[in-house]
Amino acid sequence: MATHGAPGGPTSSALYDAATDAFRRWRTGEDAALDELVRVMSPVLWHVVRATGLDREATEDVVQNTWLTLVRSGDSVRDAQAITRWLCTAARREAWRVSKAATRTRPVEDDVLAARMPTESSPESEVVTLDDKAVLWAAMTRLPERCQRLLRIVAWEPRPDYSSVADTLGMPIGSIGPTRRRCLDKLRIELGGAA
Amino acid sequence: MTRSDDALLHAVADVYAEWDPAPADLVDGVLARLAVRDLEAEFELFTLVQNVDTGIGTRHGEAAETSASVALEFAGSTYRVLVRITDLGEGDRRLDGWVVPAFSMRVFLGPPGDALAHTRQSAYADREGRFEFPAPMHGEVRLWLLPQVASGDDGPPPFVTPPFLI
Repeated sequence: MATHGAPGGPTSSALYDAATDAFRRWRTGEDAALDELVRVMSPVLWHVVRATGLDREATEDVVQNTWLTLVRSGDSVRDAQAITRWLCTAARREAWRVSKAATRTRPVEDDVLAARMPTESSPESEVVTLDDKAVLWAAMTRLPERCQRLLRIVAWEPRPDYSSVADTLGMPIGSIGPTRRRCLDKLRIELGGAA
Repeated sequence: MTRSDDALLHAVADVYAEWDPAPADLVDGVLARLAVRDLEAEFELFTLVQNVDTGIGTRHGEAAETSASVALEFAGSTYRVLVRITDLGEGDRRLDGWVVPAFSMRVFLGPPGDALAHTRQSAYADREGRFEFPAPMHGEVRLWLLPQVASGDDGPPPFVTPPFLI
């Protein structure tokens, strides 16, 4: 169940459609449609930026600045269908600029994963279903950091731009697809066959 | 059972939404920043014309413990705004107000200055010009009022009040 608004990801074309539609209406003069776009896409940008390693406070700033950039240069987005990709890419670029400027980056697991991780995962708990989020979370934390970041991005970002993702993760663009596959396979192994 | 990649990623999205969620006020902070973008210079500064401490409820002999209130009246060139801060007891307060003459407004409440713009709370003044913050932040704050006009129409300018205390 999506308790925090519709999550992104490949299963959620609804989010992509909602964003595209809101952007199109905003560009044709419907001011309130921008609010809709902000509501739909801000949580996505949050996860996309957090996956770059910025802390929560810096992430909030980056998300706000991304929207300001859109409002100031919205004309540069010619194709409404490109809006989600434009926003996510702009957010990553801003995150990169901020992290270079302030070296505020910390690996996500330092401040979140360690604190939230269940203390022990017994063999029994690994065969419970994916609906047990604690089990999935624990499995995620056992993946390499690069896998955690990549999976968070592709889980949240509608139709991600692989070249922009590759820049963020410092990987060749051609390896994003195969790495995504390997990371999902590793996650399945960590889940002990439950998924 | 093997889940599809999509189902697994959906679960991953959910688990991040739960364990490292976006702040509850993320969207409001963005909207506040957007609403006042490049407008600060255009904001008309209201002036405080009246500041009245009053007790509500005591007049009819009701229990007065939860009813202290302060009324502020701000005036600009074309509009006035009346603000009432009611002490609900135990540190809780309520802020409500009226725009006169009535006009639909987007209303933001927050600390003075842009640096804390992301902490601004937002509300709408309805067609009667009424707005309410049921749980306003405490401390020194200002109100920003943005007339809601159809695009293309000329509306009154946006207003900002001088800082006042809640």
